[in-house]
This record gives sequence, structure tokens and C-alpha cells, in this order.
Amino acid sequence: MLSRLADVLARIDRRVIYLLISISVIIPTLITFPLPVPISPETQALYDRVAAIPDSSTILLTFDYYPSTLAETEPMSVAALRQCWRKDLKIVTLSTVGLGGPSIADRVMSTMADEFGKVYGIDYVNLGYKANYQAVLLGLGMSIRSIYPTDFYGTPLDSLPLMKDLDTYDGFEFIYIISDNGIVDNWVGLVNAQYGAEMGAGVTAVMAPKFYAYVRANQLIGLLGGMKGAAEYEHLVGVEGAATSGMGAQSLVHMTIIGLIVIGNFAYFAGRRKK
Amino acid sequence: MNSFFGKQLPVAVAFFAGVVMIVAFFSADQTVSNFSQGQLVWVTIVGGFSLLLGVASITRVSLSQVRERKKGWQYKVVLLVFLAASSIGAIVEGTERGTVYDWLFQNMNSPMMSTMFSLLAFYIASAAYRAFRARTIEATILLITATIVMLGRVPIGQLIYGQLPEITDWIMNYPNLSVQRGIIIGAALGAASMSLRIILGIERTYLGRS
Repeated sequence: MLSRLADVLARIDRRVIYLLISISVIIPTLITFPLPVPISPETQALYDRVAAIPDSSTILLTFDYYPSTLAETEPMSVAALRQCWRKDLKIVTLSTVGLGGPSIADRVMSTMADEFGKVYGIDYVNLGYKANYQAVLLGLGMSIRSIYPTDFYGTPLDSLPLMKDLDTYDGFEFIYIISDNGIVDNWVGLVNAQYGAEMGAGVTAVMAPKFYAYVRANQLIGLLGGMKGAAEYEHLVGVEGAATSGMGAQSLVHMTIIGLIVIGNFAYFAGRRKK
Repeated sequence: MNSFFGKQLPVAVAFFAGVVMIVAFFSADQTVSNFSQGQLVWVTIVGGFSLLLGVASITRVSLSQVRERKKGWQYKVVLLVFLAASSIGAIVEGTERGTVYDWLFQNMNSPMMSTMFSLLAFYIASAAYRAFRARTIEATILLITATIVMLGRVPIGQLIYGQLPEITDWIMNYPNLSVQRGIIIGAALGAASMSLRIILGIERTYLGRS
């Protein structure tokens, strides 16, 4: 009986697995149920640091992510913008990702600016993208204008009120990196280490484990890890958005994968005993 | 002559550029600073042209595949059409909201990239079921740790066991951190030694085959 069950479980068709994952995503998306979102110390630290920035200061917010990871990263950007603009912070944004980064920044910044009544050039500026991110990050430390003579829309920086007295990292109270790739290493290695700029990061879940090393070394003030990190930040900001609503689906998918691992191991050991 | 342009000149440029950046890092002199900044600007300009080279290369390869009716040539036609549409759109109108480029990006490129990435969930689930076995002690430790972290990183983990998020934080902050530090230090030493090899002209694979 047990060996027959093991045989059946050892041969689950991959389409059944795909169906299970689909159901695990669809059901919680249709039927939402409240779930606790415990705040991790890294998220709390990032939130507290941004909260401590003097009102009306200027920060650099990056959109270093591709469209493929929007589900994890865009809620971070939105929640960060909410917190920053409630404090009337001025925001300069750029992207080290050529494919999509500046366009995502353009869309997210414009949408949020409409909500908060912010004006381009006075409250925020989108610098866009320049090739060779390592040279860009180093170059910005000496002169923003030499790397970005114009913004994303081709407007000269000197004609933008926000950029008038801003030409190096010294002008930024804080650097808020949101990324889905290894660029955080370069922000820390080139900008924090060489220019002493204070920074925090929001990254995809798969990237997060690596960056705990920078958090413990105080090179990153705080860290948001994946959609869960974004949901935590949404809770701290007080507006539940896309990340919070995705927690049900993520919980169920994780449970399904764990269930599949247990089934696979049960079938493996039962099959071995039979032999 | 070929050897000069193919080997000696690129190695000399790499040596000069590398030395300038090293000197600029340690020097407070404004002239050196300005010179290295000019060099960084040049790097971004060269980077922009290398993107153009990529576009030219993919166009050439795709065109030849379409001409020779190679397997999947229809996809290359789609690629070329959208490459042309987005490039011409961006040159004529720009890339800001409401332009052809932006429409193509927001409504086609972005959803397609998200879809491709989402497929990973299905493959991960299938691979976990088939391959994640507790065959050895090391594999068992990895499996148990992964299960705890997977549960601890989602809200439902706290409902199952209240201490799970704290246990996950401990795993991330101690065992994970020690390993990550080792990897980061190792990678940094590797990058430093590779940079030195390039600057000194010992490593020349970036020049391509002679």
C-alpha cells in the first residue's frame, strides 16, 4: 500500500505541479485574507533612517530594476516615495538599467507626483540612464553635470531649480537604492566606501541574503528583501499596496513548494526502502 | 601595424586609464581629479556606442537568419520590426510618457519580461519536487534551512509558529552572513587581481582572438 502510494507520488506529472502553483497564485488573489506582516529589524532601520531625514532635504532614489521584477520592486519604490513626499523631501532619481529603468522611473514618479501634487524640476528630477554604471557612479561623486548634462527629457540641469546647487553626492542627505541586480555592490563599494554617502537598499528576495553583510557593516542602513520587505514597508508607511496584497499568494506558493518537497522526499525514501 | 592597433595600443590605453584611476583615488590634486573625471565621461560615451554596436550586431545576425530562412526566422522578423519601431519612435518622438517607444515598452516589453520571470515559479516548484532530496547530511541541512527560511519569509510562517521570523532572521544574520562575507571578500580579491593583470597587460583576453 505504502509502496504503491510512493510510486504514484514519485510520478506526479509536471503539468499537475504547474496547475497547483497556478491555483496557489489565483485563489489568494481572488479571495484576500488578512495575514500578519511582522516587521524585520532591517526594514525598520531603513524606515527610521528616512523618517529622521530633515524635511525638505534632497535624496537620491534609484530605479535600478528591470520590468521582470516589477512585482517585487515597484511596491518598494511606491512606498518609499510615499514616505519621502509626506516629509516633502526633494527627490533626484536615476537608473543604471538601460532596458526600462528610466521609463519605469518616469511612470512611477509621474503617477506619485500627481497624487502628492509635486512639480517636476522643483520637487523631483529624473536623470535617466547612462551607459557603464561603474563610471557613472564614480563620476557622480565628482560632478553630476559632467555625467548628466541634461535630464531624462533633455532639459539642461542648470534650468531645473532642484539641480541648481546640486553637483555631487554631498548634496544628498540619503541614497535609497531599489534594485534587482548586483549594482548594490557597486553603490556600496564605489559610493559609500569612497564618498561616504549614507544609503539603504530595497532588493529582490533572491538578492537579499548577500546584502546582509553590508547591513551588519553599517554600509547599508537598512534593507528591504523582496515582496515581503515591500509589504513590511507598506505597513510602516500605513498604505497597504500591491506587496501586501501579494502576501497571500506568496505564502500559499511557498507552502505548495514545501509540500512538493516533502512529497518528493517521501516518495524517494519509500522507493529506496522498497528496493 | 596590425599588432600595434590590435595589441600594443589597447594594452597601453588600458594601462594608462587604469593608472590614472588609481592615482586619482589617492591624490587630492584637482588636475588629476579633473582628468580622471574626463576619462569617466569618455567611458560613458564609449558605453553608449557599444550599445549601438549591439543593435547593429543583432540586426545583422537576424537579417541573415531571415534571408536564409533558418529555423525560427519568423521570430527574427518580429524582433526586427519592433527593433525598428522602438528605435525610430525613440529618435523621432523621444522616450517619455505618451510616445510610441513608451507605449511599446509599457504594454509589450514590460508584461513580456514579467511573464518570462514569472515562469520561474513553475520551474522552481517542479525542480524542487524532483531534485531537492535529503540524500546526504549536507543536503538535509540545506533542505531544512531552506524550508525554515521559505516559511519565515512569508506571513503564514508566523501563523504556523510565532518564532519562525526570528529564527529566519538568525539564519540570515549568522550562518548566511558568514558565508556571504567569505564570498564577497573572495570576489573582491579576485576582481582586484584581475584588474591588476589587465592594467599590467598580463590578462589580454578582452582583446579577443588575434
